[in-house]
Amino acid sequence: MKLNIEGLLVYFPYDYIYPEQYSYMLELKRTLDAKGHGVLEMPSGTGKTISLLSLIVAYQREYPLEVTKLIYCSRTVPEIEKVVEELRKLMEFYSKETGEKNNILALALSSRKNLCVHPEILHANIIVYSYHYLLDPKIADLVSKELSKKSVVVFDEAHNIDNVCIDSMSVNITRRTLDRSQANVETLQNTILKIKETDAAKLKEEYRRLVEGLKEANVARETDIYMSNPVLPDEILQEAVPGSIRTAEHFVGFMKRFLEYLKARLRIHHVVQESAPQFLKDIFEKVCIDRKPLRFCAERLRSLLRTLEIADIADFSAITLISNFATLVSTYSKGFTIIIEPFEDRTPTIANPVLHFSCMDPSIAIKPVFERFQSVIITSGTLSPLDIYPRILDFRPVTVASFTMTLARTCLCPLVVGRGNDQVAMTSKFETREDFAVIRNYGNLLLEMSAIVPDGIVAFFTSYTYMENIVASWYEQGILENVQRNKLIFIETPDAAETSMALEKYQEACENGRGAILLSVARGKVSEGIDFVHHFGRAVIMFGVPYVYTQSRILKARLEYLRDQFQIRENDFLTFDAMRHAAQCVGRAIRGKTDYGLMIFADKRYARADKRGKLPRWIQEHLTDGSLNLTIDETVQLSKHFLRQMAQPFRQEDQLGLSLLTLEQLQSEDMLQKIAQIAHQA
Amino acid sequence: MAALSEEVLLVVKRVRQRKQDGTLYLMAERIAWGPEGKDRFTVSHLYADIRCQKISPDGKAKIQLQLVLHTGESTNLHFSNESTALKDRDAAKDLLQQLLPKFKKRANKELEEKNRMLQEDPVLFQLYKDLVVCQVISAEEFWANRLSINNVDHSLSNNKQEVGISAAFLADIRPQTDGCNGLRYNLTSDIIESIFRTYPAVKQKYGENVPHNMTEKEFWTRFFQSHYFHRDRINTGLQDIFSECAKQDEKGLKSMVFQGVKNPMVDLLSLEDKSLDEGYGSNSTAPSTSNTNKTVKENSNSAIIKRFNHHSTMVLAAGSGKKACETSSTDGNSRDSDFFQPPIKKVKIQDVIEYEDLHRENGKKTVALNLKKSDRYSHGPVPLLPQQYTTSQDIVNSVNCIKQEIASYKPCLTQVMSSSTASCAIAALSPGGVLMQALAQQAINQMVPNDVQGELKHLYTAAGELLRHFWSCFPVNTLFLEEKVVKMRSNLERFQMTKLRPFQEKVQRQYLSTNVIGRGPVWVRW
Repeated sequence: MKLNIEGLLVYFPYDYIYPEQYSYMLELKRTLDAKGHGVLEMPSGTGKTISLLSLIVAYQREYPLEVTKLIYCSRTVPEIEKVVEELRKLMEFYSKETGEKNNILALALSSRKNLCVHPEILHANIIVYSYHYLLDPKIADLVSKELSKKSVVVFDEAHNIDNVCIDSMSVNITRRTLDRSQANVETLQNTILKIKETDAAKLKEEYRRLVEGLKEANVARETDIYMSNPVLPDEILQEAVPGSIRTAEHFVGFMKRFLEYLKARLRIHHVVQESAPQFLKDIFEKVCIDRKPLRFCAERLRSLLRTLEIADIADFSAITLISNFATLVSTYSKGFTIIIEPFEDRTPTIANPVLHFSCMDPSIAIKPVFERFQSVIITSGTLSPLDIYPRILDFRPVTVASFTMTLARTCLCPLVVGRGNDQVAMTSKFETREDFAVIRNYGNLLLEMSAIVPDGIVAFFTSYTYMENIVASWYEQGILENVQRNKLIFIETPDAAETSMALEKYQEACENGRGAILLSVARGKVSEGIDFVHHFGRAVIMFGVPYVYTQSRILKARLEYLRDQFQIRENDFLTFDAMRHAAQCVGRAIRGKTDYGLMIFADKRYARADKRGKLPRWIQEHLTDGSLNLTIDETVQLSKHFLRQMAQPFRQEDQLGLSLLTLEQLQSEDMLQKIAQIAHQA
Repeated sequence: MAALSEEVLLVVKRVRQRKQDGTLYLMAERIAWGPEGKDRFTVSHLYADIRCQKISPDGKAKIQLQLVLHTGESTNLHFSNESTALKDRDAAKDLLQQLLPKFKKRANKELEEKNRMLQEDPVLFQLYKDLVVCQVISAEEFWANRLSINNVDHSLSNNKQEVGISAAFLADIRPQTDGCNGLRYNLTSDIIESIFRTYPAVKQKYGENVPHNMTEKEFWTRFFQSHYFHRDRINTGLQDIFSECAKQDEKGLKSMVFQGVKNPMVDLLSLEDKSLDEGYGSNSTAPSTSNTNKTVKENSNSAIIKRFNHHSTMVLAAGSGKKACETSSTDGNSRDSDFFQPPIKKVKIQDVIEYEDLHRENGKKTVALNLKKSDRYSHGPVPLLPQQYTTSQDIVNSVNCIKQEIASYKPCLTQVMSSSTASCAIAALSPGGVLMQALAQQAINQMVPNDVQGELKHLYTAAGELLRHFWSCFPVNTLFLEEKVVKMRSNLERFQMTKLRPFQEKVQRQYLSTNVIGRGPVWVRW
């Protein structure tokens, strides 16, 4: 159908539209009009992607000078491929409706294998790729730095974007890294010697360029051609590379010294934590390495590798890592922490020292993106609470909105189970998680559900170790035997290939009517990347609240930083983080309005307002007082009732006019008012 | 007597039943017992009626065999010949063990078959209700010549459908203490079959070792003692014959994992666009999965998890009738035909992005062709003699030829029907004409309400069915058929009394004025 979104003609490749899609497009258009950033939450299965694509493509056609490019970033390869398919569908619709041949060039990068596409990127109207191509400075520099300012950037499935940012700026150095760097340095040294004998002019030319400084890059940045790179800070562009590392030999010597220092630092017996300035002070005192040359390390190494015409840069990944670390540690005095651990906590007898240089501020990596592009849209099915993302990513959105799923029938049923039938509280709280009664009650819940839910059940645990322990005790108690009478059991393992097979078999068992249970882990690959549509997931059980492992020093440092810099209390952040993962897990079951599923939160803590309130609106609004703190029996009763209702036939006519609109319905004044009203409840 | 013609498979003397000495006979189709000194059986059970047999545990003073029937009743047989009691009992038990499953399957199959036929065929079901439920004829008579006809039709599809395995079959082997610090496992042939089907390695071991290396009992004793059965096994001793099974399972699992998954949407390996190089990221300290620094408990835990995955996979595969590790090349993606198929991935993705409720429903849903070999479908059979095929030029020529013929076609008006014959035919075909008398019946169709019509139809088919039985007795050349003819005649009369008369009267009462009743008796008279 052809829509009129506040005066903009939008081609939408379907005969009907969901009301929330209309609201979504409306907000999106306003964001683009204002040339600002937006945070939009809409449940998965309500056609978010097609709404985004339809509107932005229409906008691009209408105002080709205002918006020149759409950069669509998603998380996983299947997600990217889905976007490409939807785009193809939209394009087909365009050529069918307008009769003209499609003149939009779209490009998808879904693997580093096909990275040699640099010139094409500049011409494409739409680019679809993974977050990393924009957020990871190492890749962004290669792929994305020349993208036009007038681009609209969309981060889909962005609920974990802060972690992606942090990952792309964090570095871990082990003894192995250092050994490999050592080898790299020696190779470099030999190559330099060889070149000196054969082609000394080349090295001289490099020296001359380095005296000139990184002027070229500076000019480019000032004239706004390039997106800035957080690893290449502004100041060094204006300066020449310091004399102490200008010649190739000197630089290699410098790197050797730096490596020796790092080796010494790893020779420890207790944990050390320090800030970047402390580290710089120490390195100056111990081996007289100054801050300034350190800052040029990354750029200097790149220049050297280029000069030496080294083909396979992958072989030099270790030394590149070290040079990036050198530059980052000397550039940012804030937002990073250094933690040196002599061994893993689990195995205190085995020495395995690691230097973690960890980024605590996700805004550092994403800052260039917000600064460069006129509109950045952060969107996902679960972004609640909405205000936290602008805070931790440090940007000012012009639109912030959460859209619920309009439903003709309540197809999701969130229930909070707080107690067993024996009234013992159910919780994964640290103090009671090993409690026999709790584990048994969790088992009983699974057993009861396995008897009443048709086809597939997915259960998530808070961590892998926790799941292992529970599965073992369920096995000993004979609970799993009884579950097996109802359904087959498949379990996620740390091995991705094994889990893939288990997943496929799980689906097969759901498909052939046998029914199955998948035991899985929150924050795991399954919880983040696999959908359980229709009979593949008629119920999701979330055993416990998936808090992150709080004893990690890196996390503690990050929490402190959040508290000091963003005034976000530790508990608020931890709860937010736990709830977004819980929402991700339970949201796996509902992928559309024709789908239905139970969402069982098996922990009494979910009933509390501070937890409940952090769930996305589309789940929260179905969580009534009557569905809090239930016993297992009550849960079974409510579930049976729900499943029986849902099993009734559900036709398109039932939805029409309520959660599904025709063009005529959409054009009526009444309906528009109603839609506006629903949208503004947020 | 019928028993005389039966083949007697085993005779065991000195078997007591209800404190009475007697002899036990195992025959081809039934087991029977007669008290000593009398030439008749006081106990006789068809094998098909027996649900299972139970034996008294070893070491008990009384050596007994119990037969449990489907009805729940049971018969105890006490082997009382002092010297050979145990041998006698085991001989009887072994023979029963062989015989029972055969009959069991047959009984179940028949029941299932009947059930299926009734469900699939509403007319038959109605007939069944009219004739059997109302006791016009007995169920056996009803099925007597039906089943055999249909058996042939469905035997093919029947053979294919195998009964799946309960995932919890191992749990069903509840060990019981035998009172002196030992455990007793009760195995049935079903469970053994489940074990064999789920764990082919065990079946192989069984074939290798029983009976030349050990007895069946010893084999299963070892099985239950082995770590293999107890799933948290880690240190399988070398003397354990099942340690090899564990290894084979492991291997099977590995090869399945290695083969990877067919559905790209669940492939976790290709999920991520791996962009972080080694050394970057904040999660590199995630627990390492290497076994070296794992505790024994953790190892056993992960062994349990692996076992569950393996068990479920094998049960699933046994149920679907194909080997777990066998890649099905029949899903349209056989290696050589890959080229002609839209990649499975693309299809899956399109499935996922489709919002069916956003589309206007357009009529019929199409059913996807389930092709075993798609390339054959798209190319057709390869012609053996290509020169026999018409070329497209030939086709074009013949089309042109036909066109010309049609263009120059002139109707030959002299050879048509005479006008009188034509008007005669028209008259015959007009309402009221000779050939249009069926129309009168249409009027009745409209006059009589649907339920009465329906009832009439039922009666018609029921009567037809009874007549079929009746006429199938001719020619009456045996005693049995003669009896049957008499019986069928009385059945028919009964049918007339209980079904037809009431219907006739009802119709007469309601439609006295019309000529419907006039037609009624015409139907009914035979």
